[in-house]
Amino acid sequence: MFAKQSRIKHQHNIAGYVFISPWLIGFLLLTLWPILQSLYLSFTQYSLLDSPTWIGSQNYENIFQKDRLFVKSLAVTFTFVLFAVPIKLFFSLMVAMLLNRDIKGMSFYRTLIYFPSLIGGSIAVAALWRNMFGLDGYINHVLGWFGIEGIGWISNPNTALGTLVLLSAWQFGSTMVIFLAGLKQIPKDLYESASVDGAGVLRKFWNITLPMLSPVMFFNLVLGIINAFQMFTSAFVITAGGPANATYMYVLFLYEKAFKQFQMGYASALAWILLLIIAVFTIINFVVSKYWVHYESEGRG
Amino acid sequence: MKAINPWFKLLTTATLVSALVISGCSSNSTESANKSNSGASKSGGSTNIKIMWWGSDQRHEATTKALKLYEEQHAGLTFTPEYTAWDGYWSKLPTLAASGTLPDIMQMDAAYIQSYVKRGLLADLSELDLSEIVDEQVIENVKIDGKLYGVPLSYNGQAMVYNKKAFEQYGITLPHNNWTWEEFFEYAREARTKLPEDVYPIDDLRNIWEWYQFYQTSKGLGPIFKDGKTFNLDKETWFEFNEIYADFQKQGIVPPADLQLYSKENDPQTDSFANGHVILRGSSVGSASAVEALLPEGGEIAVNSYPVGNAGGGWAQSTIFFSVSAKSNNIEQAKQFLKWFISDQEAGKLLATTRGIPINSDVLASIEPNLTSGERLGIDLLEVAKPNALPFYPAPSGAEDFTATYKSEMESVMFGQTTLEQAYETLVEKGKAAESAIQ
Repeated sequence: MFAKQSRIKHQHNIAGYVFISPWLIGFLLLTLWPILQSLYLSFTQYSLLDSPTWIGSQNYENIFQKDRLFVKSLAVTFTFVLFAVPIKLFFSLMVAMLLNRDIKGMSFYRTLIYFPSLIGGSIAVAALWRNMFGLDGYINHVLGWFGIEGIGWISNPNTALGTLVLLSAWQFGSTMVIFLAGLKQIPKDLYESASVDGAGVLRKFWNITLPMLSPVMFFNLVLGIINAFQMFTSAFVITAGGPANATYMYVLFLYEKAFKQFQMGYASALAWILLLIIAVFTIINFVVSKYWVHYESEGRG
Repeated sequence: MKAINPWFKLLTTATLVSALVISGCSSNSTESANKSNSGASKSGGSTNIKIMWWGSDQRHEATTKALKLYEEQHAGLTFTPEYTAWDGYWSKLPTLAASGTLPDIMQMDAAYIQSYVKRGLLADLSELDLSEIVDEQVIENVKIDGKLYGVPLSYNGQAMVYNKKAFEQYGITLPHNNWTWEEFFEYAREARTKLPEDVYPIDDLRNIWEWYQFYQTSKGLGPIFKDGKTFNLDKETWFEFNEIYADFQKQGIVPPADLQLYSKENDPQTDSFANGHVILRGSSVGSASAVEALLPEGGEIAVNSYPVGNAGGGWAQSTIFFSVSAKSNNIEQAKQFLKWFISDQEAGKLLATTRGIPINSDVLASIEPNLTSGERLGIDLLEVAKPNALPFYPAPSGAEDFTATYKSEMESVMFGQTTLEQAYETLVEKGKAAESAIQ
C-alpha cells in the first residue's frame, strides 16, 4: 500500500518535470549554467582569447584594494540610486493619482501617458535625450527665451548625472501602472467615511491612500532599487560614462572591463559583487518593510 | 477502458510533446552541422569562405559586389560575408576567437592585430608574393616579428584640415606644411585676436592621449609605450604641453570644456568643425570624405601637415588589413583571393576608396579620374602627411586601462576638478600597471 502510493507520487513528479522541461532545460542550460560558470570565472584570469587560468581570490583583492574606478563607479551608482528611485516613485505616484479620476476619455489619457514607457529604455530615446540636452539642444533653446544662457548639460560633470536621473524619472510608466492598480484596490467606502468625519484631501492621502498603498509602494521600491543598480543603456549611449567619469555607472564599468579590456574574470567578479550588493539592499528592504508596510489581511494597522 | 490512470494519460502527452520539441531541436542542429561540414570539406569541389569586416554602408555594398565578381570568376567558390560597424566588430571578434569559430578572412586594424598575432590566431602570409603589387617598404613596415599576418589594403595617414573660407574671411595667416608646434600655437594665438567670440582656432584635445603622443614623438622622445612595452611619459614635455593648453583655455583660445566634450567627431550635428565652432583640426585619410561631407555648403577645405618637431610629425602608413584565421581550412584559397582583392582592376573599380587609398598604384591610377572631391581630399591629405611621417604608434594591448584613465583624468583637469600634478601621479601609476600587464 505504502509502496504503491509512493510510486504514484513518483509518477506524479515525473509528469510535472516533463511538463516544465522546456522551461527547465532552458533555465538549466541558459541561466543556471552561465551563472555558475561566471562564479568560476570570477576566480580566474580570462581574456576570451586564451583559456582561463585559476588565480584564486586575486580579482576580488584587486577590486577592493587597488581599483579606484570600482570606488568611483560605486559612488556614481549609489548617488544615482539615491536620487533616481525616490524621484521616480514620487513622480509615478502623482501621475497615477491624476489618472485615477473619473473623467471622460481617461483610458485614452492613460494610454497616452503610458506610451513613453514602451519606448523609454531604448537606444532611440537615449539618443533623443542626448540631442535635447546638448549645447544646441531644445532645453537650451527654451532657456534662451528667458535670457538664460544654457550649458552643455550632458558634457558637464556637474549636471550629467542629473540629466540621467531625469530620464529615469521620465520612464515612470510601468511603476505608474502598478500604482494605479493599487489605487483602484482601495475601497471607496474608506474615503467616504473619512469625508463624513470631515477629513481633508491631505489627511485622506496621508491616513488612507499611503497606508493602503504601502504593499504596492514596497514592491515598486524593491524593483526600482534593483533596476537602478543595473542602469546601463542611457549612461552608455548618452554620456559613455563621461565627462570625467561623472556618469560612470557600475554596470558600464563592468561592461568595459569585459568587452573593451577583455578581462572576463575580473568582470565576473564585479558582477558577483553587484549581485551581493543588490541582495543586501533587498534584504534590508524586507526587514525594514515590517515597520511601514501595511497588509490589510494581517489585521495590523 | 474507462480506468486509464489520468496520470498515465498526462505522462504520454507530455512525453509526446517533449519528444517533438527535442526532435525539432535536434533536426535543426544536424542541418546546421551538415551545412558547416560542406563548407569546410569542399565536397564536390565547392569551397565556402567566411569573410568579415567592419565599415560604412558604402564599404559593405562595394565589398559585396566585389565578392560576387570573384564568385562568378571562380566556379565552386562561395563567400559568406558578415559586416558590422567598428564598435560591434571588436566585441564580436574576440567571442568568435574564444569559441574557435573565427571567419576564414577577417579585416584587421593596426591597433588590434598584434594581440591576435600574439595569441596565434592569424595565419602567416609571408609566402604570398605581393612584390609586383605592393611597395616593398610598405610590406616591411607592417610585418610583425618579420612575418606578414595581414595583407595591407590601403594607405592611411593623418594630417590637418582647415576651413579655408574662414581663414580668408577673418584675414588669418594660412598655415604651411611642416610647421612647427611653436608655429601651430602661434597661429592659435593670432587667430584668437581675429575670430568672433564663439569661433575657436583649435580644439582642446588634452583628453586624447594620442594628441599628446604626437607632441612627444615629434620631439624624438618616443611613444608613451616605448617598443610597445616600457612606460615612457616624459614628465617635463607633458607638463609643458598641458600648461600651454591650460593657458589657452583661460584665454578662450580653445573651446570651454563642456563645448569641447559635446563635440563628437564626424557627427553632423555636434562636430565642432562641422558646425563652424573650430576652424582647424586633424583628420585621417580614411575619414576625409566624411569630413568633406560635414562642411556646410560653400565651405572649402584645405589640407596641411601636422605640426612637426625635429623627429617629424603625424603618420602615414597602412592600417587596415585582411588577415586569415590560423584555423581556416581554406588558407590557400583565401590567399589567392586577397591577392586578387588588392590588384584586380575590376575589383578596384568596385571598391574605389571605401577602404582608403588603394595600396596598389595601378588600381589607384585606374580609378583616379572618377574620384569625388572628398576622395581627392584623402589623397591630398596623404601627400602632405607622407614627407615627415612618423610611424603609427597604437596603444599596446594591456594598456586599455591606462588610455581610459588618461581620458577621464584629463577631462577632470579640463573641468578644473583635478590638478595637473594629481593627474600625472595617477597616470604614472596606471602606466606602470600597464607595463606589467603587457608582459
